[in-house]
Amino acid sequence: MRLLGWLLVLASCGAAQIRTVTLPGKSPLVTFRIVFTTGSAADPADQPGLAYLTAQMISDGGTRDLTYKQVGDALFPMAAGVSAQVDKEMCTFSGATHVDNLAEYYKLLRGMLLTPGWREDDFRRVKDAAVNAIKIGLRGNNDEELGKEVLYETLYQGTPYGHFNGGTVSSLEKISLDDVKAFYKSQYSQSQLIIGIAGGYSPTFLASMKKDFQALPAAASPKPKMSAAAAVDKSRVLIVDKDTRSVAFSIGYPIEVTRARPDYAALLLVSSYLGQHRMSSGVLYDRLREKRGLNYGNYAYIEYFPRGMYLMEPQPNLARQQQIFQVWIRPVEPPTAKFALRLALFELDKLNKNGLTQEAFERTREFLSKYVNVLTRTKRAELGYAIDSLFYGIPPYNDYLKAQLAKLTLADVNRVIKQNIRTDRLVIAAVTRNGEDLKRQLASEDASPMTYNSPKPKEITDEDTLVVKWPLGLKAEDIKVKAVGEVFQ
Amino acid sequence: MIPKLCLLLGCAALAYGAQPQKVFPYAYSQEDLPNGLRLITVPTDYANIVATYIVVQTGSRNEVEPGLTGFAHLFEHLMFRGTEKYPPQKYNQTLNRFGAASNASTSDDLTVYHTTFSKEDLDTVLAMEADRFQHLKYAEPEFKTESLAVLGEYNKNSASPFSKLSEVMQDTAFDKHTYKHTTMGFLKDIKDMPNQYEYSLKFFDRYYRPEYTTILVVGDVKTKAVRAMVDKYWGEWKRGSYKPDIPVEPEQNGPRTGHVDWPSPTLPIVSVAFKAPAYNDATKETAALDALAYLAFSGTSDLYQKLVVQEQKADAISGNAPGSVDPSLFEITARVKKAEDMDYVRERILETVKAFQEKPVDPARLDTVRKRLRYQVALSMDNSDTIAQILSYYVALKRTPETMNALYDQYAKLTPEDVRQAAAKYLVEKGRTIVTLTGAGGGK
Repeated sequence: MRLLGWLLVLASCGAAQIRTVTLPGKSPLVTFRIVFTTGSAADPADQPGLAYLTAQMISDGGTRDLTYKQVGDALFPMAAGVSAQVDKEMCTFSGATHVDNLAEYYKLLRGMLLTPGWREDDFRRVKDAAVNAIKIGLRGNNDEELGKEVLYETLYQGTPYGHFNGGTVSSLEKISLDDVKAFYKSQYSQSQLIIGIAGGYSPTFLASMKKDFQALPAAASPKPKMSAAAAVDKSRVLIVDKDTRSVAFSIGYPIEVTRARPDYAALLLVSSYLGQHRMSSGVLYDRLREKRGLNYGNYAYIEYFPRGMYLMEPQPNLARQQQIFQVWIRPVEPPTAKFALRLALFELDKLNKNGLTQEAFERTREFLSKYVNVLTRTKRAELGYAIDSLFYGIPPYNDYLKAQLAKLTLADVNRVIKQNIRTDRLVIAAVTRNGEDLKRQLASEDASPMTYNSPKPKEITDEDTLVVKWPLGLKAEDIKVKAVGEVFQ
Repeated sequence: MIPKLCLLLGCAALAYGAQPQKVFPYAYSQEDLPNGLRLITVPTDYANIVATYIVVQTGSRNEVEPGLTGFAHLFEHLMFRGTEKYPPQKYNQTLNRFGAASNASTSDDLTVYHTTFSKEDLDTVLAMEADRFQHLKYAEPEFKTESLAVLGEYNKNSASPFSKLSEVMQDTAFDKHTYKHTTMGFLKDIKDMPNQYEYSLKFFDRYYRPEYTTILVVGDVKTKAVRAMVDKYWGEWKRGSYKPDIPVEPEQNGPRTGHVDWPSPTLPIVSVAFKAPAYNDATKETAALDALAYLAFSGTSDLYQKLVVQEQKADAISGNAPGSVDPSLFEITARVKKAEDMDYVRERILETVKAFQEKPVDPARLDTVRKRLRYQVALSMDNSDTIAQILSYYVALKRTPETMNALYDQYAKLTPEDVRQAAAKYLVEKGRTIVTLTGAGGGK
């Protein structure tokens, strides 16, 4: 079934400008993923958040013929909805319906995407929500996501990736409804459209859907020229100061590896070994949490992974031409913050020097080869991954990853570690109370002694003698402290 | 072959207005081992993948001793501390080789341990799970370290004002019952956990017993083979005898209020809660309160349209009906854009409650709720893992998937008058608690 779906993709690519990814089946459900290969990287430099507001007006506003309330009333009994996800290079509208309601659901979906209502009162509500998502959601209520997004913004400064997908407060406040309409007109084109559909729909349904979407302009206006993140030439820290109980860290630097590159599988294996998201198998989780009780968890990533505190698995349709390597250290008690940071870097250094053992290599490879089936166990996930594969120009993800993993050797992985894992030239984002105090601590190479509430094995206490004085290599002039109200302003 | 799901859900969808089909569309087996352990096996048509959900009917509700809250949740952590046969590293590495997704969660009434993996690994997964449920072994130093991870979890949750609001709501609304504390437990108790090693052993001995436990196995499996594996690995598990004496909450005799001063800027929150009955599918009350939450407070409700869409004084409103083992709360929560509108929003919520107490809803609107509830199930049951997850909630209440069918049968029978009566009986001033939250710089 998966292979057949893929063949249909290829067949349709040649036949029409609109690309489709189809996974037909006999399920009573029909799943849609309508992707435009444009996003916040296409925001004009002075209008961060424009792509985001445009997508929100479509998913959370009315259509030309129906008010927002009428759309909501119509979707309610179907238990259906349309949600929007905006990333740098993809705007995705997704939803699902029971086949009983397919015609009615599709009529709403079509209205939302092809003839949005663009009402001023919807715009006011959507804009308020976008501003509050930054002021309250990100700055106020979610220290971990805040740290991650600050890290991304810092690393990509000066490039089309250099602002938060949701924009900045001052930019959102200035964007007008006309700006949103203009963005829609210039970017929501057939050339940037991928229609993804799975489940129990008929071929005639798809044909008529494609015909409907030909109402969109054939081509999009040019987007800002993509440029890579500047290399990090020395380690630096951005501390966000806010009233909070604990200290959250995100650490990272740009990498050249993406899903389309030859070293993808090897580096994915390395990040899984270091810290598979929300699993207890990773080295960072084991050393920081299990052995020392420093916090709730610690993970590593080579692809953008927003909303990690709510999600157990990565979401599709966040495909990017550029990625970073990232370590996420969940909140630690302030007295142990410097030690926790040192320990994470100590583990990265150990990995860089020693590489993986044959056992760890084989085990992690086995994990990923099977876990990919768990990741794509739903049609909506399978469809999302298929669309991403089209973006990256790779075969169906499961087959691709399994084949790449099967070819790997320990030597390949250890070479990729040497090339990609490092402890210098990092950007570190921290969210904490008393930012100046953390700055003073990090700028000094003084030891950060660690005490525990229970006896530790000799292996740990011996290791700690190295960790407590592990050189951070940070200078005061490379550590900036910002009040939380200044970020994403 | 047309998958069974397709046929059954198709029928269910056609059945509105007629005799409704059972909402849980799968044939399943439900068997009790002599030791009291219950096994529910649900073969599905989703190939290769199996989900095991092991439900322990123990949550923060079972934490009856003062000063010892949060232990059900602590066990969600401790259960990953290993046994002699499978020390933590071996346990983790085995699951890792299986490519399994494994985790656990705790709420008021249950703790659930879940693993999703390839079907060929079922035997080993059941063996490892049986081993840790029967032979969990952790020394005091590891216990102390794990209790710090719980504090770490409290710390990461503490960034959200909604966590604090829940703490204060439960503490204010309840006097005696263990729903007075959240699943995380009181912070002072979490800080004291490292000193409670001996109590933790007692807690495990009380509740990690077959009579509290139901194993759900959902996916590409054969019922007989699953039973044989469970007999083999779980058959020797010894039944316990402990029954907690959970305090009965005295009747509330007047409205209560609470307030949270949040230290940093955030939008104000108004939460209005009413004491409401325990889950019950033998009557229409639970179903009626569920329907009321949708009718009065969901996105299509008049109140939501007024406050969120038209006046835009609030950016979110939700209503949550209770569904717990013991009487709990029907809660309406609104996030308000300006502190000066908090009283206005609270009054509109109370007016809405009054209106639903006085006048039955339009039967057509009730039909849309019924329809939504059934489609919601159909849309979410699209993989074995989610099917098991949905069932785990119902199994925690009454140890059988029939719980779900019984509740949906009650939805089918509901009348507008049932909804009115439930609102009039339970959403009353005497049993009301209102908790507000304002951020730094916001007025009360």
